[in-house]
Amino acid sequence: MQPTRAARGQSRWQTLVTQLVGLIVILGAWWLVTDVLKLYPPYVFPGPKAVWTEISYGLWGTGPQDGKLLSAIGGSLRRVLTGYVIAVLLGVVVGLLMGAWRPLRTTLGAYLTGIQSVPSIAFVPFAILFLGLNERAVLFVVILEGFIPVALAVSGALLNVPPALRVAGRTLGAGSLGLMLRVLLPASVPSILTGLRTAWSFSWRALVGGELLIAGAASLGEQLEIGRNTANVALVLATIIIIGVIGGLFDSLLRAAEGRVRRDYGLEVPQ
Amino acid sequence: MTRFTLPTLLTLTLLTTAAAQDAQTVRLGFFPNLTHAPALVGLERGTFQKALGKVKLDAREFVSGTTLTEAFAAGQIDIAYVGPGPAINAAGRGMPVQFLAGASEAGAVLVVRKDSGIKSYKDLGGKIVAVPSLGNTQDISLRHILNENNLKPKADGGTVTITPIAPADVLAAFAAKRVDATLVPEPWGAALEAQGHKVIGSEKTVWRDGKYPTTVVIVNAKFAQANPQLVAAFLKAHTDAVAFINKSPVAAQTAVNNQLLKATGTKLDPRVLQRAFARTRFTTNLDLAALTEYAKLNVEAGYARSAPDLAPFIRK
Repeated sequence: MQPTRAARGQSRWQTLVTQLVGLIVILGAWWLVTDVLKLYPPYVFPGPKAVWTEISYGLWGTGPQDGKLLSAIGGSLRRVLTGYVIAVLLGVVVGLLMGAWRPLRTTLGAYLTGIQSVPSIAFVPFAILFLGLNERAVLFVVILEGFIPVALAVSGALLNVPPALRVAGRTLGAGSLGLMLRVLLPASVPSILTGLRTAWSFSWRALVGGELLIAGAASLGEQLEIGRNTANVALVLATIIIIGVIGGLFDSLLRAAEGRVRRDYGLEVPQ
Repeated sequence: MTRFTLPTLLTLTLLTTAAAQDAQTVRLGFFPNLTHAPALVGLERGTFQKALGKVKLDAREFVSGTTLTEAFAAGQIDIAYVGPGPAINAAGRGMPVQFLAGASEAGAVLVVRKDSGIKSYKDLGGKIVAVPSLGNTQDISLRHILNENNLKPKADGGTVTITPIAPADVLAAFAAKRVDATLVPEPWGAALEAQGHKVIGSEKTVWRDGKYPTTVVIVNAKFAQANPQLVAAFLKAHTDAVAFINKSPVAAQTAVNNQLLKATGTKLDPRVLQRAFARTRFTTNLDLAALTEYAKLNVEAGYARSAPDLAPFIRK
């Protein structure tokens, strides 16, 4: 039996309430350990209040030195979105080529899987030497990390298209390009979306790692570094929370898109 | 069930008494820079170890005030030679810091790459400037210089890119044209100058006519309270080291060079070291007024929201 719209709304409410209670429990435990029991000195592990102060000054403070977290978020988002878009375009092209041509798949595909296992931060020293101490070095790492999951997802998706669809496409008179663009690619969209979501989290993590080592412009990585350098652990924690929240928000957006497409493709029964 | 017998209780009492006694080691933090010369000279000549007697000296080298402050916060360092910037930040965040003495004044210069086209502070717009680390003493000074010349760091919407590079690596960064200028502590300024790069901000024009602390000695307040004699002995040794530097600069330069070789693997030309020495003053004096102004510059640079009252942090 299909659950009604009202029932679905109710279960959504329940999830939200449970998540809210979980958040309150975590904040309470944090507050208890730091501000009440004072198990750690504030310069080692500050309480939620101190971190909230950093967040509020950093995001909507109006003092001459305030709002730095906000400009850091702007800088980081601009950087990651630029890198991500390039990574996705590059990934789709490389993935299509790999899906269409077997020798490329067996060589490049295998290497890409290997490169993917290298932590992004390991590429930063090379990027700095190769491209200089600048934004291009950060973009290089973001693109490298982002394009691999897309390429692998696209080529994998093409291989998983049911042979019947190929045959049907050919029979109806599609050429190689037509088959690729009008049959194989649309059929692979759900798997590609999964790749896009992985690519996002890879790019986002690579970005923060790169920014940490290549300071200069406003960035979340720089805020982490400044917090560390000025013994401001509250700023470090505030930045970590912001990185997590942004990463999570984008992930849930992409997850929602992925879920919708999967339902449209009939891969999931609506609940 | 565990039973506490008399011997166990006795052992426990003995153990706690032993812990309350003087420390068995003094863990000292310093950097391999000329502005830390009292530390380098004291180590090279065995001054500290002699003063501490049976207590072992455990000297640990750091690259910047950042990592040193972290070690200090984690309770891994008892006494440290450090720039006023990190020390003031540590004090402002409630770390158990006590300012013990001064170590050096001035000794930081603004050097520009010979082909960078920079002639004065105003030309720094659009350029990449290196400092030892973000939030350190030279970074705070640089942001003040930029502010005075109506320039802004890129992260604050301006045009000057401030990038952290360890002073010993600045020579390589200049050679590779990765940076255009740097505000560094000596001897790295003189070393750059020896390669043809230009000093456009001398130790005197950087700030306050050169009357500013570059390195101070801090002690963990808890350690100082538990080990007053050890701290007094160390302070005496530090005073002796500073006196030796001022009395026998040539011997002191050799001692510094030996320690630099140990720390960085490079020895400097004695003439370079001599020039760097001329731009640095060694003193045990702690200038509270200058430190207080530094704390205000720290606020101006955006590294703190208020300047702490430093007087209570200075050892009486």
